[in-house]
Amino acid sequence: MIPIPAFLVVAGILFGIGAIGFLVRRNVIVALMSIELMLNAVNLTFVAFNRVHAEAHTGQVFAFFNIAVAAAEAAVGLAIVLSFFRLRRTVRSDAGDLLKN
Amino acid sequence: MSLWFALSPLLILSAGGLLLMLADAFSEKHTDLALGAFMTFASAGIFAVALWIMGGVPAEVAKLVAPWIVLDKFTLFFMATLCLGGALSSLLAGGYLPEHGLDRGEFYALMILSAIGGVLLVAAGDFLALFIGLETMSIGVYAMTSFRRTNPRSAEGGMKYYLLGSFAAAIMLYGFALMYGATGTTALAGIRDALASGSFGYARDPSRLTTVIIAMAMILVGLAFKISAVPFHMWTPDAYQGAPTPATAFMSVVVKAAAVATAMRVLLVAFGDKFSSSWGAGWPPVVAGLAVATMVVANLIAIRQENVKRMLAYSSIAHAGYLLIGLVAAWGHGDPSASRNGKAAILFYLLQYTVTQAGAFGALILCGSKGKEAVSYEDLAGLGRRNPAVALPFTLFLLSLAGIPPMSGFFGKLFIFQSAIEGGFTWLAVIGLLNSVLAAFYYLRVLVFLYMKEPQPGAVEAVPMKSGYVTAAMVLASALVLYFGLMPGRSLDMAISAAQSLM
Repeated sequence: MIPIPAFLVVAGILFGIGAIGFLVRRNVIVALMSIELMLNAVNLTFVAFNRVHAEAHTGQVFAFFNIAVAAAEAAVGLAIVLSFFRLRRTVRSDAGDLLKN
Repeated sequence: MSLWFALSPLLILSAGGLLLMLADAFSEKHTDLALGAFMTFASAGIFAVALWIMGGVPAEVAKLVAPWIVLDKFTLFFMATLCLGGALSSLLAGGYLPEHGLDRGEFYALMILSAIGGVLLVAAGDFLALFIGLETMSIGVYAMTSFRRTNPRSAEGGMKYYLLGSFAAAIMLYGFALMYGATGTTALAGIRDALASGSFGYARDPSRLTTVIIAMAMILVGLAFKISAVPFHMWTPDAYQGAPTPATAFMSVVVKAAAVATAMRVLLVAFGDKFSSSWGAGWPPVVAGLAVATMVVANLIAIRQENVKRMLAYSSIAHAGYLLIGLVAAWGHGDPSASRNGKAAILFYLLQYTVTQAGAFGALILCGSKGKEAVSYEDLAGLGRRNPAVALPFTLFLLSLAGIPPMSGFFGKLFIFQSAIEGGFTWLAVIGLLNSVLAAFYYLRVLVFLYMKEPQPGAVEAVPMKSGYVTAAMVLASALVLYFGLMPGRSLDMAISAAQSLM
């Protein structure tokens, strides 16, 4: 059986990759993918911890809700990126430079 | 009392939001939907007040939905405040959207559905409910921010808000996961008990202590982002400027109030044990630092703005700083009396801030019309002479934001600073006081342009719009600003009794 810390380490690495990807990449679609990666790392953490606290299913239920909410969030996010793309013809986040003082 | 009645504000909002979506499909002119949204918010608010008057939700009823939803007076107070903010914003939308060619009915449904998320957020007693409420609220607001589909600024503001918002939510969620791993529960009260007892954490297993501290830091980042505290404020000015103004009003009152309420619950309830809330090793010094940074940075940048909407955005960040002072005072070294006064001061501040800030954005809406929206200080020049009826409410709200008596903002700030001094944070109160002097400069600058300047020759003059909805919102908000300013006693009593129920 794979020990629980292994899952947690993988989740931590995934979260790190997602966070770095979000901060480094300028392509908005890649940023969205990075956020999905972070959310998946969170789900993995929840499910892994549920094996430690096996007396209830809190972690697994939380992961289910995360998946549903992440889907809704991604739908709205893609719509916003699409409307940005329609107006600016690019999905690079540094193209968003109209709002400043 | 049945559970249906106890949950009536949430149920009314849900039913109203769904009905408005249905009505949107069949209606020709969407302005009437604004009235529908207003009625929904008003009736939900009235039910919340009715529950309050009946002495709150009885314990045996509240137990049915605990620990996921907490139905105490604290929740009821915020339900009424959020509904008030929502009602004012929907009135503003009823005037603004048709004037600027955005007359699409889904805006009202989005606003109400987003407010449901806000209400769930303030009522949440469990990380799961908290997360669902937060996301429900945020997703609606992301869509409202980028509602002007043909406007690149709106799309840009929405995109920045969305990206940073979901990034912060992911960080906070990882914090929840780690906290669950360390304590074995996601209920706020359960986490407090687990952290307080030696069996889980500190005493036995030092490796869990690190997890708890990392989790706390991540959750704090998420909360600070939603409150828009410096250095997590970068999205705020862009989203506020790009969004249609009623959406900005909604964000700056409803979203902010809900975020502060949940921060109070998480920090004072879940992390309210002796160790997590100690000055040496817990969250209070971090929050105090955030408060100082937020006030100073936001006020210094706000002075340099040429765009009034952006200035109001920075001012709203600065107000988050004053609220964070209240949060430190609400911890108050664990002294119950100082702690109660600190919490009550935050609640009263948010109540009066809701009407003041929504009113200020409403007055800004009223100053412009189609193609001639008032954005810069120059646009406002001379409006006080040309249209005193428009400039007067604007003056009232700006004086209240600056905290000048007899407006409500004065007592809001007074109670916050008083509770900070009582809790032993005189230095925080002094910094806050200096900052509100600084802030008065840029509020009064608007007044100078309104009353003492004339427009440049040849400049495009902002032409005030005419709308019954916006006028109604102005009258309502002005009356409440004066009421909270002249007779704060009753609402303060309510705030104190709501503060006492937070545990």
